[in-house]
Amino acid sequence: MHPKRAARWPGGARCVVSVTVHMDGPAVEVGRQQVPLGMHAAGRYSIRRGVPRTLELFARLGIPATYFMCGYDAERVPGLMREVCAAGHEIAAHGYVHEGWDPGDAEPELLERTHRILSDCTGIAPVGWCSPSGRKSARTLPVLKGLGYFYDASEKDDDLPYLATIDGEVARDFVILPNNTVSLDDVPAYREGQALAAEVLENWLQELAAIAAGAGYVHLTFHPRAGFGSGTPARMAAVARFLEAAQAMDGVRFLTLRQLAERCLAEPEAWRR
Amino acid sequence: MSRVIALTVNVHGMGPEAAREPASSLFGRFAHGGYAWHVGMPRLLDALRDWEVKATFFWPSSEAARAPALLERCMADGHEVAAHGRAFEDHMALAPEDEVVLLEAAHAALVAHGAQPLGFRAPTGTLSPASFGILHRLGYRYDSSNVDDDAPYSLAADGAPGMVELPVSEGLTDATHFARRLTQSRAEAFLLETLDALLPEDGFAVMTVHPRGDLGLVREARLPILRRLVERARDMHGARFALCRDIAASCLAPDRTVTWNGRPRA
Repeated sequence: MHPKRAARWPGGARCVVSVTVHMDGPAVEVGRQQVPLGMHAAGRYSIRRGVPRTLELFARLGIPATYFMCGYDAERVPGLMREVCAAGHEIAAHGYVHEGWDPGDAEPELLERTHRILSDCTGIAPVGWCSPSGRKSARTLPVLKGLGYFYDASEKDDDLPYLATIDGEVARDFVILPNNTVSLDDVPAYREGQALAAEVLENWLQELAAIAAGAGYVHLTFHPRAGFGSGTPARMAAVARFLEAAQAMDGVRFLTLRQLAERCLAEPEAWRR
Repeated sequence: MSRVIALTVNVHGMGPEAAREPASSLFGRFAHGGYAWHVGMPRLLDALRDWEVKATFFWPSSEAARAPALLERCMADGHEVAAHGRAFEDHMALAPEDEVVLLEAAHAALVAHGAQPLGFRAPTGTLSPASFGILHRLGYRYDSSNVDDDAPYSLAADGAPGMVELPVSEGLTDATHFARRLTQSRAEAFLLETLDALLPEDGFAVMTVHPRGDLGLVREARLPILRRLVERARDMHGARFALCRDIAASCLAPDRTVTWNGRPRA
């Protein structure tokens, strides 16, 4: 058992599973200065097939998820955002056009713009953020905190949540919920690793078994796009089988990242690293 | 023919990214190395204790400065601490006078932490024509950077008489496979096919792991792969785990010739 994992999870659960969907719609291609049509329409697949497929899947399994949305995508399809929200899922922020570069001085404005778009669209202000592409700067968290956020899901340096350090001080009201882009993320395995869906599923199930017996925090990330994502039927089937396997395990509890962050911050001292 | 395997650890934390990116960018995707300090090194050291394996840890002096307590634990646990450059410089690109200063400073830093490094591994894989000569003058007995052989050999022809090369196996290095973002099962298959063919060849193997979450074998789901490799080397191949410094000493004769399993190795 992981030494840091006390009986902290709700209801005596031994493992929390947070499912995060990075919609990554046409915002990705637009951010790359591409026309999101033809071979560059893989992000539109998220809108047309991928996100609806996830909503069906989560409804069938009764699982709440966290959807990381780009501001541009919310402008394009505000109705889809409201549909995700109405289904009981969380919407969190993921850049305006999926800025996979250092935005420099434009960063605060981009964070604020996406925050405003997502808030106006759903009527609920996001409280969490995950960096598009994993880049961050020293001013990211201060800006997010100022906007009312209380978690960041961009770090990859621990097996468990921990309190953020903001402006040199450990914050008791802002928690890092590390993501696992190493082996619980579809894109690296499909795009770089050239894996089959069955191989990705096997890898995820190995992670699930090891984490459920250990740290107890599973943070799954997948993308409902075509191309490098999991939106298409063969790959969404792997997502479904993973979630069914997790659901079948004893002591597993599904939480949105917001629920998880609220849980951690209710007892911040337990999450000091 | 006796069989010996060296488990080597490249102690890479934040250093590789810190060498390329500004300090203001060392978050998120550029902070995978933080996993080494918070999770990877303690977990690896616990596992090596449980498995009764002594390993050789190659420490860049910059990483030693970031995590001195872990360096001390390496030594207290009976592992070997060897040199791994300063801060992930490309030795092939260094001016000769700069390389001398750098290697001396990195050596002095490890000595200041109480280590007595006798071996070196190139931090980014590259060496200059002068590297071995500098290391030789610093009193080093071996290098473990070259990918050009299956068994130890003398570095006399490379300007370092009295130094032994303990050649690295890329196929038996975790990062080789995880850098390609292979699934764990595929990475294990690559590591196994390397081990199974390499050890019987000359009775020698260098296995290399990284304590990072991305490139290494230290995640909860991956550590069992390392355990299976260790068990396979011991039980199936009958190999003995040894420190690099002891392997180098065992094959280096007083006349500075190198012998491996009864054969001279020039």
